[in-house]
Amino acid sequence: MIPFAADVSIRSGRHREWQLWIPLAILWILLAPLVLILLPFFCVACLIGDIDPLRAIAVFWRILTSLNDTEISVNKPEFFFSVHLY
Amino acid sequence: MNESRRKILDMLAQGQISADEAERLFAALEKEPAPPSSSASDSPPRAKPKYLRVQVEEQKDASLHEPSVVNVRVPLQLLRAGVKLASIIPAQARDHVNGALRDNGVGIDIGQIRPENLEEIIDQLDDLTVDVDKKSEKVKVRIYCE
Repeated sequence: MIPFAADVSIRSGRHREWQLWIPLAILWILLAPLVLILLPFFCVACLIGDIDPLRAIAVFWRILTSLNDTEISVNKPEFFFSVHLY
Repeated sequence: MNESRRKILDMLAQGQISADEAERLFAALEKEPAPPSSSASDSPPRAKPKYLRVQVEEQKDASLHEPSVVNVRVPLQLLRAGVKLASIIPAQARDHVNGALRDNGVGIDIGQIRPENLEEIIDQLDDLTVDVDKKSEKVKVRIYCE
């Protein structure tokens, strides 16, 4: 399943920590028409580059669905950043 | 009736333990996993790992500051999908990548990487720690599956 939301936390220096909850589901819905418009161009580009477009789409879809539960955090004395996709 | 239960009943009969204590011991016995029936499986089967975790800890000039920590948890599914991505790279680009890898001392052909190879690595990757000592800082890289 593709990630539907992301938690992002950012803290810089002594400033307060920012916590954002990003509803990725809305982003996907907004991007869907754009993807449909760009799909033919993507297929043409794949054919020019000697890549099977169906296979490429399958791989990209698989990467997107595998992103669920990814966590990245960078904790430095002066900076903190974390993102969790779920 | 097994040996442990008989022992508890004996202790209860001799007044060494109370009825409540005996009840607790019985409950603890029930929670205990059954001993392995075959001698071939000495260690319990490991749960299949779901994530690859990479932790990088960087300590600058002898603990004056808190260490910088980078913590990445990636689903193993993403790595498997990444391996598939290598298979759609055009031959021309693949040659460039292989050439660049060779120049940096990594003699592998990315076109030859198969999902099975990744599974072998995951099976072997219990816990790997790499210590990197530089002049003014110490970097510890820990990679493991969980």
